[in-house]
Amino acid sequence: MRNNFIFIILFMLGLYALIMKTNLIKNVIGLNIMEASIFFWVIAFSDVGGEVAIHKMGEEFSKFNDPVPQALTLTGIVIGASTAALLLTLIIELNQFTDTIDRDEIEGLNN
Amino acid sequence: MMETRIILLIIVPLGTAFIIPFIDLINAKLRRFFVLLGISIQIFNLTSIVVQYFDQIRDGSLFLQYHLGGWQPPFGINLVMDNLSFLFIAIVTLSLLFIIIYSIGYVGHHEGKFYVLYFIIIAASNGAMLTGDLFNMYVFIELLTIASGALIAFQRSHPGSEAAIKYLFYNIIAGSLIFFGVLLTYFNLGTLTMADVANNFAALESGIQLFITAIFLTALLIKMGVFPFLFWLPKSYDSSPAPVTAVLSGVLSKIYLYLFIRLIWTVIGFETIVALNLNILLIDIALFSSFLGHVFALQANNIKRLLGYSSIGHIGMIFAVIMLNTEAGFYGGILHIIAHMFMKAGLFVACGYLLQYTVSNHYRDFKGVGLRDKPVFIAFIILLLSMIGMPPLLGFASKWFILMAFLEAQSYFGAFIVIFGSLTAVIYYLRYIAKGFEEVRLSEDDLKMEVFNQPLLSVLYREKIVTFITYAYTAVIIIFGFGFRFLNIPLRMSIESIMNVERYIELVLGG
Repeated sequence: MRNNFIFIILFMLGLYALIMKTNLIKNVIGLNIMEASIFFWVIAFSDVGGEVAIHKMGEEFSKFNDPVPQALTLTGIVIGASTAALLLTLIIELNQFTDTIDRDEIEGLNN
Repeated sequence: MMETRIILLIIVPLGTAFIIPFIDLINAKLRRFFVLLGISIQIFNLTSIVVQYFDQIRDGSLFLQYHLGGWQPPFGINLVMDNLSFLFIAIVTLSLLFIIIYSIGYVGHHEGKFYVLYFIIIAASNGAMLTGDLFNMYVFIELLTIASGALIAFQRSHPGSEAAIKYLFYNIIAGSLIFFGVLLTYFNLGTLTMADVANNFAALESGIQLFITAIFLTALLIKMGVFPFLFWLPKSYDSSPAPVTAVLSGVLSKIYLYLFIRLIWTVIGFETIVALNLNILLIDIALFSSFLGHVFALQANNIKRLLGYSSIGHIGMIFAVIMLNTEAGFYGGILHIIAHMFMKAGLFVACGYLLQYTVSNHYRDFKGVGLRDKPVFIAFIILLLSMIGMPPLLGFASKWFILMAFLEAQSYFGAFIVIFGSLTAVIYYLRYIAKGFEEVRLSEDDLKMEVFNQPLLSVLYREKIVTFITYAYTAVIIIFGFGFRFLNIPLRMSIESIMNVERYIELVLGG
């Protein structure tokens, strides 16, 4: 069963954290929740309740789950992890100059 | 035609990027040799493609393909080089070559890390322009984002890390939107190859078409810095090191323009855009963005920020003139992409050198900058005049064609924006030229201050390299300004390959 509503709620939750929270680390978490909601949606959408293709190598079967979206999502997760790592590194670096990670208190982020 | 050399355009820079850290471990002095080696293999590769296929480039029938792993296109990954991507790869490689020679003197500490990120940018930009596969496009775009984000914060300064955080937040959102769009396309059409998607896209329901198109467009508007999403751009242009700004403005925004052309004309199809009533909206958004960029530039008190705002103005103008979908529009647009690429990169390169002894990038500190290093400042002035659109320079030719294209399409607001941009540019650039020639008398204390305020990197600057590179940019602008007819054939042929989508689909899917 695919229930798109759940993914929309998750996406909005991420967007809320990204826009409304002023803590930069919470913003990164929100960004990751947004990405995760897209990944969950992709995986759920590609699951049609069939066989796993790799388990049936060489045999004949009619209905199988498409492995391509799963492979693409795996790439997406890797990219998401590396961007999050880079962002967190930069936030730690910024914290050394400003002693705060509140978005509203850092002047340079607002102009 | 199967051609192995086009995948080398991606593999060689990527390989160089991975070799450099190991070379650093063995002997740091060998590093520059390997950097130059990687770049020269790249140039040699491109030159050999030009020599072998010269006739096909001239008559517009260039079409090289590479199938990874030998899988045929609808199932496998393919790389495609047609006349459009050839033109873009040629100019992007030339521009990146100039910037890397400049950065040899610029980056002091951690030079090896800089080159690693820089070569990843070269590889990813070539990959993004060559790929014929939507998902690979996403991967290369994300590579560009990560590498450029790390480069913005390269100097580990306070404004640098702020700018990089801001840049990354916007661009990661754009990246996940592209991911979402690619997966939506896959679920609806069952394929990722651009040609196959193009073949079947028109048969989709118009609601789904609109959704996918809107997602891709939003992502690309964020990446290019067009009106609703332009707020990350000035900050990151202002706070990053000079070669990185030159890459951001000179190369990355042009790659996104290329991807925009590819997606809208080849994959989605302009008829679909017209059927969805998006074309008028996009032209208006782009022209408003251009207007906004020029107005913001008027109030900017910081030369690098000003150049960033002016970039917004020019990108919006190019975007609008391309969206007209006429031959004249493409001609002016692509010519201005080339012109803007060399002008802006040259300006940022010259700026990075001229500002090295000043306390800040602020307007009042620009005083007397021109008297310190006259040759570079003269090149700077020539490039500024080209931005304004003075007749013998390339900026004039491209703006002229854009103006004619707008008038031909009877888009008088567009024509007004071109003229308005030039007029405001006169105001905000001449101010800086005048300030640069202002006599400044330094007291003993000022001189001391100046020495202490120099960034450590500037000690390693090499004046001759910088002068050479700024004059190389100026020479490109002047030579093509007089002889912009040289670019006639490549431009006509790339317009041909944008317009002739059936040929692209047939050649990719036909094998």
